[in-house]
Amino acid sequence: MIAQRHILGTFDESLAALRNNVLMMAGLTERSLDRAMKGLFDRDDNICAHAIADDEEIDQLEKQIDKDGVDILLRFQPVASDLRRVVSAMKLSSNLERMADQATTIARRARKLNRHPPLPEVELMKPMYEQAMSMFKDAVDAFVREDVELGRAIVPRDEKLDELNRQASHKLVERMAQDPDQLRGYLNLIFVGRCLERVGDHATNIAEDAVYAAAAEDIRHQSIAAVT
Amino acid sequence: MATPERSVAERVEQRPESLPSEEAVPARTFEVRSMSIWYGEKRAIDNVSLDVASNAVTAIIGPSGCGKSTFLRALNRMHELTPKTRMEGKVLLHGEDLYSSGIDPAIVRRRVGMVFQKSNPFPTMTVGENVVIGLRLNGVRNQKFLNERLERSLRMAALWDEVKDDLHKPGTSLSGGQQQRLCIARALAVEPEVILMDEPCSALDPIATAKIEELINELKTKYTIVTVTHNMQQAGRISDYTAFFYLGRLIEFGPTTKIFTNPAEKQTEDYITGRFG
Repeated sequence: MIAQRHILGTFDESLAALRNNVLMMAGLTERSLDRAMKGLFDRDDNICAHAIADDEEIDQLEKQIDKDGVDILLRFQPVASDLRRVVSAMKLSSNLERMADQATTIARRARKLNRHPPLPEVELMKPMYEQAMSMFKDAVDAFVREDVELGRAIVPRDEKLDELNRQASHKLVERMAQDPDQLRGYLNLIFVGRCLERVGDHATNIAEDAVYAAAAEDIRHQSIAAVT
Repeated sequence: MATPERSVAERVEQRPESLPSEEAVPARTFEVRSMSIWYGEKRAIDNVSLDVASNAVTAIIGPSGCGKSTFLRALNRMHELTPKTRMEGKVLLHGEDLYSSGIDPAIVRRRVGMVFQKSNPFPTMTVGENVVIGLRLNGVRNQKFLNERLERSLRMAALWDEVKDDLHKPGTSLSGGQQQRLCIARALAVEPEVILMDEPCSALDPIATAKIEELINELKTKYTIVTVTHNMQQAGRISDYTAFFYLGRLIEFGPTTKIFTNPAEKQTEDYITGRFG
């Protein structure tokens, strides 16, 4: 739902600028994660380097969003839905920045993996990647469209991602025992899996913030049954 | 000597076992039931029912002409001073109907004091006389008692230290913020049960405003306070409950935190976020 305009036009302009920066940051973070995973799957160091380079712009956007958010709090003293939107935007940017850090870590691990023969177990990362990215995109969508139901539905999806990570880690540990020559490679894949699992955690945080922004309901730290 | 800081371990050790329940029903000072007020043909208040919690600050907000001040004045029958006023409904103060026959409006106004937008010390009186005039008009002559009440009222109004050497000077010689606190001291001197405030800070600078807000926060431990304000941030800072009026009707009433983070009514949301108009 898009709210009607404020009497004070500059307030609307500031809120719109904040929102646009959050959307830009979400777009860049998504691109960075996609690039990091493409660099892993395609064994392409060049794409990995792009993913790592994206991080700086995302870091700058995080600072910009924090500055703009504080500026809005100071100048307009927002209340009700406006206040929730500003607070959520600032929390979102913090989660996006951490997601981008995960992308950087994945890209670095991918470059290490690319220095050695390919491991077929990299396929274990694909379902995790798909799950994490679909959670991420839906969480941002829930925030943008103020879709409370979509936001709520993301929280239980994190369990599936956690389970995929557990299964992948288990298999990779087994492979480490069977093939100790590739120990570092399997270890790097375990780290990539952990990064994707954390992307899911951040997507869950964004979904929770989206629900708070739209409905003023704090669904954090509740059982899944209570959330849904 | 300052109290030594507690260590983190002590804080953890001494924390309460469970958080206080938010569901506890507060004691009520006023129970307003189906209040409607007309000025001649014009209906200023339209069927308002509202409970005012004791020892808490209730803020009344709403656009100009929505009936905030009329509602406030009806709580101590001051609106009756306006000609051609008619009122329906009930206002119970600690269970007693303020509008039942046999109730003296002057007594009501002593029990329910009022502070106005523009500070209004009596211009011909000194600082000291301004504070105790209410008691004098009620026949109190004992000078020792008057002096004690004078000092106590000024201390409660956080003004004593600033004026204790100037009690004989005209009340109007004080600054705007001091004059407003003098008026609060004057209201406190007759020991009311409730203090009504009609935009008490709207004519004051930010420092004087902060002093009044701090005072309101201290006074609520002893008094029930109902205040009208146009300043949303002030309502958010000082009040425990907020009532939003529009066109004479009570649109929404609830804990201030709830009203300012998640109002239930769209009209409230539009007004407090500045989308009204």
